[in-house]
Amino acid sequence: MKTKMPKIKMSKTKIVMSITIGIACFSLMLVMFMQFKVVKQTDITSIETMREEDLRTELADWKEKYTELTERYNDVMAKITEYQSEKESDEKTAELLQSELNQLNLALGTTDIQGEGITIILEDKKDTELSEGIIVSQITDYDLLIVVRELFAAGAEAISINDNRIVAMTDIFLRESNEISIMQIDSQRITSPYVIKAIGNRAYLESAANSKDGKLKQLQNAGHGLEVQTSSANKPIIINAYTGTIDSKYMQDKEN
Amino acid sequence: MIIIAIILGCVIGAIIGVNAPIIPYTYSTFLAIAVVAALDSVFGGITSVIKKNFDLTIFITGFFCNSILSIALTYLGQRLNIDIYLAALVVFVGRMFTNLTIIRRYYVDLWKSKITQKVKSGKKAEE
Repeated sequence: MKTKMPKIKMSKTKIVMSITIGIACFSLMLVMFMQFKVVKQTDITSIETMREEDLRTELADWKEKYTELTERYNDVMAKITEYQSEKESDEKTAELLQSELNQLNLALGTTDIQGEGITIILEDKKDTELSEGIIVSQITDYDLLIVVRELFAAGAEAISINDNRIVAMTDIFLRESNEISIMQIDSQRITSPYVIKAIGNRAYLESAANSKDGKLKQLQNAGHGLEVQTSSANKPIIINAYTGTIDSKYMQDKEN
Repeated sequence: MIIIAIILGCVIGAIIGVNAPIIPYTYSTFLAIAVVAALDSVFGGITSVIKKNFDLTIFITGFFCNSILSIALTYLGQRLNIDIYLAALVVFVGRMFTNLTIIRRYYVDLWKSKITQKVKSGKKAEE
């Protein structure tokens, strides 16, 4: 103790000096290590720690990019609207053409169709003896043509005989050679019974078929078999498409 | 005693500095310039010890005032849109190098004189 006391007394100024120097060292190291830490942990690319000037230049860059991209976006949008309108008009044209095509196909008879109408089954009873000396004569092509004409007159929109569609160029023809007669529609042989399908107003067609002056009744009276069926709502008449080819070799559009 | 104070101050300062919260990057320039100013003061102090005209008051006031002044100048520079801290940096670092040269010369001289003394004493022993 005795030896220590004077030492402390002697170094009174030294104590003040060491404390102040210690404080100085402390503050220096504190600031230095804080700075080390900041520099080490700072990500220069992240926005939170950027300096104001850097942020300003960055902002200017982004603004430039933004305006550029906005311009491009507007360009592209304009192009898109252009294409859209073009596409719409194209679609309209295509729709129009399609409906026209459908109409034409229906008129031409190149599609399968269905609808209300009647089915006539006409049985050729030739060579049967009706009564003494009266023999039933054969159904001719004229008879069939007249039946078809009467049905068309009654408003039929489509007719087929034994699933042969009657179109504008259809021929019905009875070929007679060597006492054998063959009924032909568009060069296709058909035989009795003739199943005639017609699509149109059911009532009109039925009344036409059952008309007393009509060809069908005359044929029935002449001894042939006749049956008329009308379509029902859940069982419409189905008529197949025309199976032949429609080509025009000679006719052309008229030159104006 | 002084050495213990220096080591203690350094260790405590380092520990607290490592655990201190991060200050924003914008203000780190001020800290950096303060560090450079303080280091300059330290080297100046060592030089004055060598020159034997060390004054504690001058050292401490220089230590803190230089740091605060450099921070103030940096702030003013930011306000004026001119990099004053660069000028402060040049002055401080230049002074640091001057002081380091003085310190180096002193110790080199000391070392040389010791060698010559050894040689002289060796010669005397031989004689």
